[in-house]
Amino acid sequence: MISSIVFINHKGEILIYRVYKDDITRSETTQFCAKIVATKENKECPIINIDGTSFIHITIKDIVVLATTKVNVNVAMTLQFLYQLVKVCRAYFGGEFDENCIKKHFVLIYEILDEVMDYGVPQIADADLLKKYIQEGGLKPELMNDVEKLKQLTSQATGATSWRPPNLVYRKNEVYLDVIESVNVLMSVKGTILKADVAGSIQVKCLLSGMPECKFGMNDKLLMQREPRKPGQTTTDKGITIDDLKFHQCVKLPKFDKERAITFIPPDGQFELMTYRITENINLPFKIMPVYNELGKNKLEIRVKIKSIFEKNLFATNLAIKIPVPKNTANVNTNSAIGKAKHEPDQQGVIWRIKKYPGDFEALLRCEIDLGSTTNQQPWIKPPISMEFQVPMFTASGLRVRFLRIYEKAGYKPTKWIRYITKAGEYLHRL
Amino acid sequence: MAYFGNNPQRGELQELYADLNDLNFEKKKEAVKKVIAYMTVGKDVSDLFQSVIKCLEFNDIEMKKLIYLYIVNYSRQKPDDAIMVIQNFRKDVRKSENPLVRALAIRTFGCLRVPKLNEYLIEPLKDCIQDDDPYVRKTAVLCVPKVYEVSPEICPPLLELLQKLLEKESNALVLANLIQSMREIEVVSGKQIIILNQKIIQKLLLAVDECIEWGQIFILDYLATYNPQDSKQAEIIIERTLPRLSHINPTVTFCAVKVILKYLDFLDNGDLVKNLCKKVAPSLISLLSWNQPEVQYTILRNISLILQKFPILFENDVKVFFCSFNEPYYIKYEKLDIMVRICDSKNFGQVLNELLIYLNEADPHFVRKTIKSIGKIAITYDKALDKAVSILVEFAKNIQQPTEPVQELLIQMQLIYKKNKQMYKHEESLKIIYSIIDYANEPESKSACAWIVGEFGEFIPKSVEKMKEYIDNFQMEDRLVQLQLLTSAVQLYLKYPSQCSILIQQLITSAKDSFNPDVRDRTYIYWRLLSTDPEIVKNLVCFNSGTFSNFSKDLRLWETQDLVLALENMGNISNLFHKLPHQLYKNIKIKVNNQQEVKIYKGDEKPESQVKEQQDENQQNIQKEQQQQQDIDLLNFDDPPVNNNNNNNKSNKTDVFELI
Repeated sequence: MISSIVFINHKGEILIYRVYKDDITRSETTQFCAKIVATKENKECPIINIDGTSFIHITIKDIVVLATTKVNVNVAMTLQFLYQLVKVCRAYFGGEFDENCIKKHFVLIYEILDEVMDYGVPQIADADLLKKYIQEGGLKPELMNDVEKLKQLTSQATGATSWRPPNLVYRKNEVYLDVIESVNVLMSVKGTILKADVAGSIQVKCLLSGMPECKFGMNDKLLMQREPRKPGQTTTDKGITIDDLKFHQCVKLPKFDKERAITFIPPDGQFELMTYRITENINLPFKIMPVYNELGKNKLEIRVKIKSIFEKNLFATNLAIKIPVPKNTANVNTNSAIGKAKHEPDQQGVIWRIKKYPGDFEALLRCEIDLGSTTNQQPWIKPPISMEFQVPMFTASGLRVRFLRIYEKAGYKPTKWIRYITKAGEYLHRL
Repeated sequence: MAYFGNNPQRGELQELYADLNDLNFEKKKEAVKKVIAYMTVGKDVSDLFQSVIKCLEFNDIEMKKLIYLYIVNYSRQKPDDAIMVIQNFRKDVRKSENPLVRALAIRTFGCLRVPKLNEYLIEPLKDCIQDDDPYVRKTAVLCVPKVYEVSPEICPPLLELLQKLLEKESNALVLANLIQSMREIEVVSGKQIIILNQKIIQKLLLAVDECIEWGQIFILDYLATYNPQDSKQAEIIIERTLPRLSHINPTVTFCAVKVILKYLDFLDNGDLVKNLCKKVAPSLISLLSWNQPEVQYTILRNISLILQKFPILFENDVKVFFCSFNEPYYIKYEKLDIMVRICDSKNFGQVLNELLIYLNEADPHFVRKTIKSIGKIAITYDKALDKAVSILVEFAKNIQQPTEPVQELLIQMQLIYKKNKQMYKHEESLKIIYSIIDYANEPESKSACAWIVGEFGEFIPKSVEKMKEYIDNFQMEDRLVQLQLLTSAVQLYLKYPSQCSILIQQLITSAKDSFNPDVRDRTYIYWRLLSTDPEIVKNLVCFNSGTFSNFSKDLRLWETQDLVLALENMGNISNLFHKLPHQLYKNIKIKVNNQQEVKIYKGDEKPESQVKEQQDENQQNIQKEQQQQQDIDLLNFDDPPVNNNNNNNKSNKTDVFELI
């Protein structure tokens, strides 16, 4: 499988070097560092072959995390493992992952590397679980000598519900659900939709005692068709069509496949229960209508009208619309009724910011752009207009959580909270 | 604590030595950490071996781990010193009640990789494989391939134990590691170790449900290499794999896709196959928009394979391959490549409209590739020709500099004219292309220009002057351009004999003494023929269009018979380079494909075996092509590779798409 895992900084220096198999020499790795990382040449492509050695790597900020191998491994798995490794490190370092904290915690990182991979084969790499038996500065001696506790630990780690420790107790049992949707849309110059999809995610924060079994339901068309209709009840909600769903490892997948029921024993604390993708019947919260005019050799005019298409009682927040301008822009005059628009040369665009934007509302921005003269006669390549926003209590897909039932032996009634929010993913309109 | 100090001077090593032997525990521990830090930056600290292992006597697990790391690193340099630690390991394995310590010891023990130490390892390892604690077992099973690699001769009893464990093990994680470990041994030994039966398959399928994500991947990956006995078994395995399509780890999903696609071949029920395809497609599409570009890339590199065997999966779904503005270029290149492959006589309009947008991108390489793709589509699909030419001509109108895309544009226009000479009339394409002809600065594009001047001499004003310009610089040109110039000049001469006679003489004078034998030969042949029978020359150099209508319509990347094997390796390194494992790795044996026919799954039809037809067709094409080439290409052997495509079956694979 994987021969070694290496952390490299942007100068091509090795920060962490862990070998799992003998078939690789250090000089092969330093060659990679010198050739690829330090020169930034071809660094983009995630897999590079040099003389029979494959270098599979990801780049997190300035750090290259590299796996080397000489055999035909599953690359997707290797990449996924590297990402997971970074995630574990972050969990230990309070979210940080940079050269400083790698140097500071290198002993811990070696311990982690020893545990998450054996003979190049990925092993348990779940941060919450690892924290139980790998701790900075060594484990407490009480635990080391308590054989019963240790047995419990190893059986949890290797068991079927490795993500949840037994015997949790909360005085107040609570569950928080966050439905977060990112809308990706690409509109052509004429305003027709070329591509639109919603990437959704349901985040759960779970503060529950014991071993609760949860059942989760939403207005998924396929699920609702399966449910027996209660007599006398007529629902207008036909449900929505979900293209694809992906679940956290705690969800019982065979049960979902057979009955389309989402059941699970949740991990403790924060986790992502599921992600989904929807391409049909998307309610785009904003429409962008740009007009582009060349007023002369050195003058451009871009007018952008935006319209919000959601209910009046809702508000969008933190809008930022980026209107690209040419490199040789000398001056921009902007004019809009609401928000602030400013030319930001480092972004090569005019950024129009609006703090709060009501539903069913139109606003217009007019930019007059004066161009400086340049020797470069290349026509301006117009990047698309992009937009950022958040609309709380709105889902672009129309998804609604219908129920979250929790069964536990103790029979407590937990408090449940739910929030919806729609954000802009790649919200683009070609100019 | 200094992590990245300067080189360890002799003094520093001495200091470390002193600290390691200090009586103070904290001081020792700091010293061990320093030793590891030096090791990390590549400094040799092996001289401290004895002092370091002495520190093992403390029962501190953090320090123990560090020392083990050190031992693993230097054990092969100091085999004799390493023997001293053996007792420590054996004590840990046998005596410790702490499963973590037992596992740690056996794990490290296995990593020593010193042949003469391995015999001490066998007994403790046997114990660990049968340990009560699953955590120790899962670690122990992975130790076996470590030992096997160094001393296979002492392993038979261990292998027996593994096979027994495979039958009785109930813990999913141990089972997954066991499969992976046995596979590793299979790779090293080249023998089949895993012997499956119905019961074990059942168990593996059950384990997939309970295992951590990596374990699921090992098992699914392994199942993808297995050939089910009958349709029923295939159906069961598919059914049990289906739920994995909803797993959040993209690799698990991808492996599930692999297993399902592979087993489809074994199903009898056509409707079931169709249904399954419908289920697989959306999962696969989700993976394409995965938010880690590196993972996305690996999936994209496998799409061409899936497209070839399962065209049904991406029917009407070109859009998912459209590039986003902010994507890294390595993703964009892949998508471009796939868009050309997925293009057909129905959706070419949609694809061309999208490619049109990419022509505005900033990166010249990407624009170049876009132009190449447009050309490729135009040449492959007759219906797309008009639209493609319109796009290219529109692009040509804005050209003011000899950029990289311009070179490609000229090359593609030459190919398009070769395919259909009448295209020169379309939107005055010839006039516009001729206006940018001076921007050519690469051999291929220059030769394309020379071809255009010769071929369309009668439609181009002052074509003879242009040719003179070229011939004046003849000596400085690349061989490719020289050869084309010879042919084109002769062509022009046949059209305007009186105006060109001096030109031709000038050309022959400068070319006949060329150092390049090809150029010399061609010059002499033309010279002799022209002086004997100009009619023959005419037949040779002025072919009518239609001759080249037989362009390769083959966008297939894989040989059809390789598809099954390639499918088994989906996601692996070899597939990422679009190769079979044995083509990339010398030590891998060629796996013979037992399946007689390769099924291709198309949209509306039922799966059918097309191999034979296609092969026959290919065969015929090749023969035809070869004949034609003998007729026409006798002298024109330096045409771009597209024409010579079918000459040689292998070049099929690499024609216009450059592989890495």
